[in-house]
Amino acid sequence: MSQTMALPALMRFTRHELRLAWRDWAWIFSGWRKTGLRRTLIGMGAFYAILHFVAYAVLSPHFADGFVFDQTALAVISVTVVLSFTMMLSQMIESVTRAFYARDDLDLILSSPAPSRDLFLVRIAMMAATNWVMSALVISPFLNVAASLGGERWLAGYLVILAASLTATGSGVLMTLALFRTAGARRTRLYAQILAAVVGAAFLIGMQVVAILSFGSMSRFALFDADFLAVHVPAANSIWWFPAHAVAGQADIVVMMLGASLAFFAAAAWCGAVQFPRIVVMALGVSENTPHKRAAEQPFRRRPVLGTLIHKELKLITRDPWLVSQTLMQVLYLIPPAVMLWISFGETAEISVLVAPVVVMAVGQLAGGLAWLTISGEDAPDLIATAPISAFTRLCAKALAALALIAAVLLPITVGMAVVSLAGAVVTFIGAMIAAGSAILIQLWFRAQAKRTTFRRRQVASKASTFAEAGASIACAGGTALVAAGSPLALLPLALLFIVLGISWSIRPKHNATN
Amino acid sequence: MPPSSPAALDILNLRKHFTEPAVDGLSLTVRAGEFYALLGPNGAGKTTTLRMVAGLLEADAGSVRICGIDAFAEPIAAKQVLAWVPDEPMVYDKLTPLEYLEFVSGLWSMDVDFARHKADTLLDAFGLAPHANERCGGFSKGMRQKVALAGALIHEPRLIILDEPLTGLDAGSARQVKRVLTDLVAQGVTVIMTTHILEVAERMADRIGIIARGQLVAEGTLEELRARASADGNSLEDIFLEIVGGGSKGELLTGAPLHIDEKVA
Repeated sequence: MSQTMALPALMRFTRHELRLAWRDWAWIFSGWRKTGLRRTLIGMGAFYAILHFVAYAVLSPHFADGFVFDQTALAVISVTVVLSFTMMLSQMIESVTRAFYARDDLDLILSSPAPSRDLFLVRIAMMAATNWVMSALVISPFLNVAASLGGERWLAGYLVILAASLTATGSGVLMTLALFRTAGARRTRLYAQILAAVVGAAFLIGMQVVAILSFGSMSRFALFDADFLAVHVPAANSIWWFPAHAVAGQADIVVMMLGASLAFFAAAAWCGAVQFPRIVVMALGVSENTPHKRAAEQPFRRRPVLGTLIHKELKLITRDPWLVSQTLMQVLYLIPPAVMLWISFGETAEISVLVAPVVVMAVGQLAGGLAWLTISGEDAPDLIATAPISAFTRLCAKALAALALIAAVLLPITVGMAVVSLAGAVVTFIGAMIAAGSAILIQLWFRAQAKRTTFRRRQVASKASTFAEAGASIACAGGTALVAAGSPLALLPLALLFIVLGISWSIRPKHNATN
Repeated sequence: MPPSSPAALDILNLRKHFTEPAVDGLSLTVRAGEFYALLGPNGAGKTTTLRMVAGLLEADAGSVRICGIDAFAEPIAAKQVLAWVPDEPMVYDKLTPLEYLEFVSGLWSMDVDFARHKADTLLDAFGLAPHANERCGGFSKGMRQKVALAGALIHEPRLIILDEPLTGLDAGSARQVKRVLTDLVAQGVTVIMTTHILEVAERMADRIGIIARGQLVAEGTLEELRARASADGNSLEDIFLEIVGGGSKGELLTGAPLHIDEKVA
């Protein structure tokens, strides 16, 4: 049997991968409802067109008298490229790990006579292509407008995104392989997820921390101050600005970047494809471990039904580090305000106003995730539904379990804040608990039974609940900040919160006996 | 089973309509202490019927009484005496069988000492004792099915409803499950089971009900069904195919022949 796949077979597999990528995308945005997909495509088309107007509004002043390549321009473009790259890398680490663990067709591929190396090579190439297309879609309005205002040389930006995408995919493959080698198949999924979140957030957070330390400002844009850049950044011809020059169409740099990234991608993809089958077999062989065996003679504990349910929810969540890390990743975004707290220790009023909304927003989002896990993510729905307990007890226990976890995360933060400002801490705690309560209510109204393993796609089940959760969190965050600042305008976000909850309640789906 | 036994399950004129009628005015009575097999072709309405009985699906019309309790009016009281085992075992990957049984016993508010004793007995009966402290995530489907069954039995239900309980079990496990179910019936527990394995129904069931197009089209002991059907053969398979309109086995096998490439073969 040939060790290399025939071209027609390779093409068929590429088509298969394209189809899967498209269906995956369509499912995420429409939940596979035909009308939903049509509406989504029309909506996204409109949004894409509007982005061109936004891009025009942002870019036209800079092109009015010819584009000036000063240090601010170099910094902004380079930072945008690096930011895109970190986002792509984060996405790729997640995608590559998922390819090892969670694709339904791995058994089929490994048991087929087709060389799995070639199939995985195609799969890695498809990841890079998908990454490029998605990134290009987001950035292209700015490139198109820049090209129309400053000449077609700006279209080189598409090639820079391609280079970034190839490098990100290659890096993602190598990093995941390294994780498998060092951490083993059992832990790689968790570590990769944390790494992806850290990579995705690190650059943004890093910029924010530098801004706080340098200017005492939460705004990352403070870093683009011309005087600051004149002192702290390299000269215009430095290698650090190559991405910016490439985006602006400097042909030699574009060719060099693209060539280097292609070579790196080819080497990394080959390395990954060769090792893929062995690693997939390792990943598929991972079984549930039982770290601490319970003593055989240990008696059952006496608990009321509500306690039994809450205990089960807490146990399931704490035993699933992968899910816990997914939800707790949002706490990463508390790091910048924490730095702010440290810097501005003496100015208590300022701290409350600045920190409270961030904490409340993060807790609201965290609560949404946890509430989904406890309320909708039930792996034995029939057992719970046929137990002799009322629906109220059932839902109450699930909501309380989510609230208990939120309180566990929130309390240390509140205590830390109380050291600086007791009133601020109380306001923040109340605001955060209202945000958590709102998120839990929304999850209760929009509950839809699902496997816990589908957590990553929980937003797909109901976009209405996702928007409602975000709206409620924003309202709570704004309201808390205004209360902390002593402003009567706090009533406005409060009204917004009631409107969001009211609309959510009125459009909630009808639930049947099982849920 | 004496015909005068009180009803463990009494279904009257049950209806459920999805895009078309799934259960269409079905009435059925299962006596206490009876092993009742519910048969029917795919999509006949067996699972829909049983899910309505278990309170997992709302009925459009009709009534269900479980051990004399109106299941729609007093669902919690009805669930107290009922156990439901779906075809796809639903257990928590992150819990061990022992923890799962502790959780289930807590839901049914059982005495903890008795529950613990009962859990040990069930784990032994299903051959799960060596795995009692291992998380279910690493279990085979058969083992998960047995954990789910143990969970259904721990609270000592008076009526057990099983939807295809032998699917995915190996011969040894299937025998274990059948023995446990037979013992339960001998102790007076009522078992209702759907199955596509007609041999199991033939050998284990006191009475057999056959559902087609959402209606109970035949019911009785094997002998009664045999007498009713004009099938030539004597097996339940012949009777079943005759009653649900599938024709004889010979007719079923007269479709397009399956050609296997000689080179491949």
